[in-house]
Amino acid sequence: MVDFFMTVGIVLFLLLFLILHRTVMGPTIIDRIMGANVIGTKTAILLVIIGLIYGRVEMFVDIALAYAMLNFIVTIAVSRYFMHHKNLRPSGYGLIHKEKNE
Amino acid sequence: MLLNIVVITLTGLGLFFFLATTVGILRFPDFYTRMHAAGKGDTISSLLILLGLALYNLHHLSLSTALVSIKIMMILVFFFMASPTATHAIIDAGYESQIEPWHNDEEEQA
Amino acid sequence: MIWSFDLLILLFMVICAFFVIQVKDLLGAAIVFGVYSFLMCLLWTEMGAVDVAFTEAAVGAGVSTVLFIAAVHRSSRQVKPRKRWRRPNKAVGLIAAGLLGGVLFYASVDFPDWADPSSPASTHLSPYFITEALADTSVPNLVTAVLADYRSFDTLFETAVIFVAGMAVFMILGQKTKESAQVGIDLTGGYEDTIIRVVSRALVPFMQIFALYVVGHGHHSPGGGFQGGVLLGATFVLLAISFDLKMVLGRMSEKKNLLLANTGVLLYSGIGVLSLLLGANFLDYSILHTLLPSTGPVVARSHAILGVEIGVAITVMAIIILIYTNLSSGGTNEKGL
Repeated sequence: MVDFFMTVGIVLFLLLFLILHRTVMGPTIIDRIMGANVIGTKTAILLVIIGLIYGRVEMFVDIALAYAMLNFIVTIAVSRYFMHHKNLRPSGYGLIHKEKNE
Repeated sequence: MLLNIVVITLTGLGLFFFLATTVGILRFPDFYTRMHAAGKGDTISSLLILLGLALYNLHHLSLSTALVSIKIMMILVFFFMASPTATHAIIDAGYESQIEPWHNDEEEQA
Repeated sequence: MIWSFDLLILLFMVICAFFVIQVKDLLGAAIVFGVYSFLMCLLWTEMGAVDVAFTEAAVGAGVSTVLFIAAVHRSSRQVKPRKRWRRPNKAVGLIAAGLLGGVLFYASVDFPDWADPSSPASTHLSPYFITEALADTSVPNLVTAVLADYRSFDTLFETAVIFVAGMAVFMILGQKTKESAQVGIDLTGGYEDTIIRVVSRALVPFMQIFALYVVGHGHHSPGGGFQGGVLLGATFVLLAISFDLKMVLGRMSEKKNLLLANTGVLLYSGIGVLSLLLGANFLDYSILHTLLPSTGPVVARSHAILGVEIGVAITVMAIIILIYTNLSSGGTNEKGL
């Protein structure tokens, strides 16, 4: 069963690479926030899986729970930022390689 | 043995939903549709995988392993409450920033 | 350690770091910096360093990102456009950095090899800690025993440094009167969202109980003062985000906050001075068994470690709330993020 969980962990991690693509290349800032939220959630699960692989789950469950809480707080904080500043792009600045016309 | 089958089924199902989430995040044309995929798929895949992990821990039934399984269920309950709220907050942020929904007659953007 | 996993995570981190440096949008950089911290936590977990991973997750990925967002909220989201490359300033900086780096590199040649089993730390200190820590202090968690008992001076000054950082923010940003720090921001105050309010109000008590559990259970599981304090502070930050800054300040006013920050450091150094008064060295906990009834010198150390961790947790919580309220309102404590 440990091999199965190691496979699950590797597959999860490789899928996280694909979401990282959306986080880095997302055309708007909100796509990046969404990607960061999903990465945070999946990392909490990866922590429990690593605990199972090492055979000592009780150590890693505390970290996973704290991590999930802090991911939630960061997402709410960033969304709250957009309630104050209601524009998506600060006038012409974006990823350095893709300068779209404004 | 039966426990192993149940755990493998639940975890495999969770991975399948996460694969669907990833495909949705990469391929959907618009922020709102991507957020649908991310919000729902992320929550359900997390819940299924965590349920599988919590059940796997009960192989040797004793008090300490039962407590650890209860702790993993606590993470599950927290995700069940917090992840949809985070989805709601992000979509609200997108809506307030006036992101245009995708129309069928426009050119498909990158 | 699983080498392939390490290399994957490192590749991931390099991509994130490159993105953080190159992008011109500070908010995006702050968010991806949070992802970078998450990955660092994963790397340390995979190496088996669980306490460090916990602290990194709590501080780097949680609170630090929120503080960055509060700072971007008060200043601006775009990087100032750079003019022509100013030659004299850059050359001076380059020479200074090169000299310092060269000196440090030359000094590091004398160090023992990485993970050398015959270095002085590995032959004298590590075997002693591994074999004798449980018998000396009756604390099963080796990291907590080393951090709070054998190297308690370091932890005391870490707590003092956190306290000084909070004081620095308070003194630089804090203002008594009005909005002279107001930049042209559209602060639509009074925004309320029922769903986030209800869920936050339901989740915060459990998060606080979990934070207290992390502080108290640091003897047996990964945890301790720093992590629990950061989680406690993060609950107040969550309340300030989902409700209003005034609601949090009504519950934890600035005066009470400063009092709590002082109390934490006072508790830590107070235990040390108490050991001095009883006739032993500073922060030598075993002499405290004369005060506590029916404990020996070994169990007294365990209790003193708990007291010290509580002091650290109180200070860290108060300072995080202090930094957040001052940073997100520009010192005026009027409207927050």
